Amino acid sequence: MTYAEAMTEIEAILAKMNEADPDIDALAGQVRRAGELIRFCRERLRKAEQEVAEALGEETADK
Amino acid sequence: MAVDSYMTLSQLQGRIREVLCQGFAAPLWITAEIGELKVNARSGHCYLQLVEKGGRNGVPQAQAQAVIWASQYGMLASYFRGATGEELAVGMKVLFRASVSYHELYGLSLRIVDIDPLYTLGDLARQRQQTIAQLREDGVFDLNRELGIPQVPQRIAVISSPQAAGYQDFMNELGASPYRFDAVLFDAVMQGHGAEASIIGALEAVADRMEEFDAVVMIRGGGSQSDLSFLNSYLLSFHVAQFPLPVIAGLGHDKDQSVVDMVAALSLKTPTAVAAFLADRVAGFDARLEELGGEIRRCVRRTLDGEEKEVQLYGTLLRERVSGAGLRMEWRLRSLSEGLAAGARRALLARGGRLDALRVRLEESAGRAVAGGEARLLQAQRLTEAADPRKILARGFAIVRTGGRPLTDAARTAAGEELDITLYKGKITAKVTDHEKE
Repeated sequence: MTYAEAMTEIEAILAKMNEADPDIDALAGQVRRAGELIRFCRERLRKAEQEVAEALGEETADK
Repeated sequence: MAVDSYMTLSQLQGRIREVLCQGFAAPLWITAEIGELKVNARSGHCYLQLVEKGGRNGVPQAQAQAVIWASQYGMLASYFRGATGEELAVGMKVLFRASVSYHELYGLSLRIVDIDPLYTLGDLARQRQQTIAQLREDGVFDLNRELGIPQVPQRIAVISSPQAAGYQDFMNELGASPYRFDAVLFDAVMQGHGAEASIIGALEAVADRMEEFDAVVMIRGGGSQSDLSFLNSYLLSFHVAQFPLPVIAGLGHDKDQSVVDMVAALSLKTPTAVAAFLADRVAGFDARLEELGGEIRRCVRRTLDGEEKEVQLYGTLLRERVSGAGLRMEWRLRSLSEGLAAGARRALLARGGRLDALRVRLEESAGRAVAGGEARLLQAQRLTEAADPRKILARGFAIVRTGGRPLTDAARTAAGEELDITLYKGKITAKVTDHEKE
């Protein structure tokens, strides 16, 4: 999944929530899905600590 | 045959030099294109190969050697740079003042004593305008800018010289951001002769792996303002303009925008500015995610609050309705039951009255019936009693039987026949002596 796809889906979910008559039963599912998407994006955006550790490990191994 | 009149080579060259010196006593203004340019590092003299293109099969129409002596080169070069923002470089058209000199050993040479940078400037501008016009005519001028910059430019192909200070600045700036970037270097010469071909080669290498990247960053360090005329070249601009990934330029020059800057999706002053832009762009996306998350939270809260309020409202309404209904119901029940009780009472009373009346009537009629019955019984009794044979016998009547059967007709008897006569008290037997027929 790309960032653009994730963003499109999040915005669609928000639009659905903003409808005049939101479906309360579907709300929990939508919130969960949006949360997943946001988390997915942010994890990919940021420098993963694990990667930093790996890079450092490689560097010390090289030396 | 013996030749007794001849000259040495040096004599010939000397003669040529004399003629030339007489014919070209004063310096002249000449235009030509720089075909080659070398500055002798030791002496500081600048040696040039000047050409005039336009011959057949790519051969120049004319060419000549030229030199700018070190004593003048420093001054002329800085004057030229100051006026054009460019270094004297290969491919450049220049208008210069030169004297024709001739040397017995080195032949013809032009000694450049002055340069008119305005000519070059005009020519560069003309070239630039031609390049732009050609790119527009080819329909590619806006192509790269139309790609736009991706929302999250995270996978970056970097076209630069790895030694350039600008490249280090770029990588340091990216590294300082909290975001993850995957930058891959595509080595290229970023200045002077050969830069054009080198950068085009690097672009082609990126294009082969284009699925791996979100954008191309083309950067060169600041430093000396050496030959950057390639940034206005048609071929390089053409490649950049129709490159399938957005190109972000950070070419570190402070002149007017080059054509490459114009066709690139985005042009910034320095490599550091490009890195800062990328980090900002990703931060912007991150902030948008945060914002969306917040909006979703608010939306959910609003919806739930609304729903809760609605539930509460419904609850209240329901309670009101229920209690209202209850009250009404109760009132109605009460009134009903009261009505019922009253009705029942009335009904009971009414019915009771009817019953009483009935009873009275019943009693009356029963009384009458009984009375009538008694009378009839009395009469029946009297009648029965009157019909009793013993009562009749007692009044003097007698029952006459013959042969066991009651005798009712005198004609049925014969003389001498015996008759049994039953009286009120006792029986007697008699004999028929006489008939008296009716």
